[in-house]
Amino acid sequence: MPEDLRTERKGRILAVRDLPTLPKVLEEVSKLVERPDSTTEQVAKLISMDQVLSAKVLKMVNSPVYGFPGRISSIGHALVLLGFNVLRSIIVSTSVFEVMSENMVGLWEHSLGAAMASGTIARMLHFKDAEEYAVAGLLHDLGKVVATVQLPDLKPDIERVVAERDCFYLEAEREVLGFGHDRINAWLADHWKLPANIKEGLSYHHKPHLAQLYPEMACVVHLGDFLVRSFEYGYSGDVGVTYLQPEALKILKIRPADFEKLLDELSGQLVELADLRFT
Amino acid sequence: MVPDALCAFTRTQKILVLSPDPTLARLFDAAFTPAEAEVTVLCQGRGAVEALFTDPPDMLVVDAALADIPGPTLVTMVKSENVYRQLPVALIMDETALGPDIDWCAVEVDELLTRPLTSAMLRARVTLALARATRSLDANPLTKLPGNTSIIGRIQDLIDRQEDFALAYADLDYFKSFNDKYGFSRGDEVLMMTARIIVNTVRSVGGPTAFVGHVGGDDFVFILAIDRVEEACKAVVASFDGIVPHFYDADDRNRGFIQSVDREGNRRSFPLMAISIAVVFNRDGRLKHFGEASQTAMTLKKKAKENPKSCYVLDKRQG
Repeated sequence: MPEDLRTERKGRILAVRDLPTLPKVLEEVSKLVERPDSTTEQVAKLISMDQVLSAKVLKMVNSPVYGFPGRISSIGHALVLLGFNVLRSIIVSTSVFEVMSENMVGLWEHSLGAAMASGTIARMLHFKDAEEYAVAGLLHDLGKVVATVQLPDLKPDIERVVAERDCFYLEAEREVLGFGHDRINAWLADHWKLPANIKEGLSYHHKPHLAQLYPEMACVVHLGDFLVRSFEYGYSGDVGVTYLQPEALKILKIRPADFEKLLDELSGQLVELADLRFT
Repeated sequence: MVPDALCAFTRTQKILVLSPDPTLARLFDAAFTPAEAEVTVLCQGRGAVEALFTDPPDMLVVDAALADIPGPTLVTMVKSENVYRQLPVALIMDETALGPDIDWCAVEVDELLTRPLTSAMLRARVTLALARATRSLDANPLTKLPGNTSIIGRIQDLIDRQEDFALAYADLDYFKSFNDKYGFSRGDEVLMMTARIIVNTVRSVGGPTAFVGHVGGDDFVFILAIDRVEEACKAVVASFDGIVPHFYDADDRNRGFIQSVDREGNRRSFPLMAISIAVVFNRDGRLKHFGEASQTAMTLKKKAKENPKSCYVLDKRQG
């Protein structure tokens, strides 16, 4: 891939404005913020189910305008710091996808499932700030959404390569775009001044053993992504599961007995999620 | 407060006008009552500068048509002295003289008035310039929250009107050691974060008296209705304690304390920062003066500081 084409595409990716989302959560959050008795916790819980709204909130609170870039990884903290006024303007200015493909709905479900799985893993391992692992799980495929919105002409090519070669979505992205969504995630995280732990979770979830600063974060998201695929909840762009890096389990010190407990807990949670609809 | 004062100014505003034009003096007479503004008109620049430096007015109006010193030169003389930089200065010139050759970035005026001029327009522009100057002079440069003058004005005003209110003084424990270890810009991040928490909490708890000010450094003030202040204190403490660990490096956060140097120069460990809030109440016009409120608050603050964790203390005598 010629360097200037890659630079041009990176520019288009980072020029993203007004990232659209799916209507359901947006509608419910809008209703909630208009109610005088709604609490920050309620709003945070809802926003934490939508990758685009969560990304917008974190991008806003970490912007240099507020004076503490790269510090906030939690949706609850972000809402306290932004306040309802700013939140309301984020919600009002968010649009919804004009054409809502089945795959996009599947990707939202996959992201929510990965968030839930990553949070559960972090809690089971008694990691501090488990919510931040859930946030990274939620946002781990944001690069796919941004690529779809900003480079819409290339999306059919990626899907065609996946179907024809029977390869992973990531490999098809690398072939068609010249880079994968993990790389897009790293660009976005830098551009939006997201905290370093979130950045590593987003950009190393396919190669967690290479993460430098926060290997646990990358490994948790990697495992969360793997597990939600195994449960066949949502659609990440791939049929079937990705390769589970054995190093990730070693880094997280997960024993086989833990694994069983984890699977039990996750299956219960995913049953609850099954009632949720994004459309 | 002066009856019939201009805007919310607590006293008559002094305006110094340097202009050889007698019609301008008449326009000022028509524009402001003596209670609103005391207008002195001098027709020469030279003698005026000394008067200006020894007894500075609240606003300076300079006519470009001044005979002895060019208006812009005089403005630069005043503005290059840092103590007078905040003095709002208006330049008056003929509209026909506005050419493309004037470098407005170099002329340090805050307001421009052009002839032909009406007294109504003069009043509007001068009043706006005065109000703008108090805002920018008083606002905390970091958080942009109202500063001391506004805080005292607001409290004294509520006391004078014998309104019930709760006055909370908040500051941070171990802020100095954090600053010493991580540097000022990291300290500023914490102040910005604290300001956001207080502003959003006070705004959401709401009420007609809601107000937040930044005294300076790590000292903040907020005013709320008496029955809502405790809820706000609880929310501020909970949010601060949840968020502040993220402003430390990961290893310090995990340890739960930092190594820094105390006031005597000894190395020791300090806990993570906490927020202390002292709340004073004004009921049935009990408080007579701002000083009473702040003194009681400082006494309570000592009590709050005895607790190394974040906490709030309400003035028991009336709470």
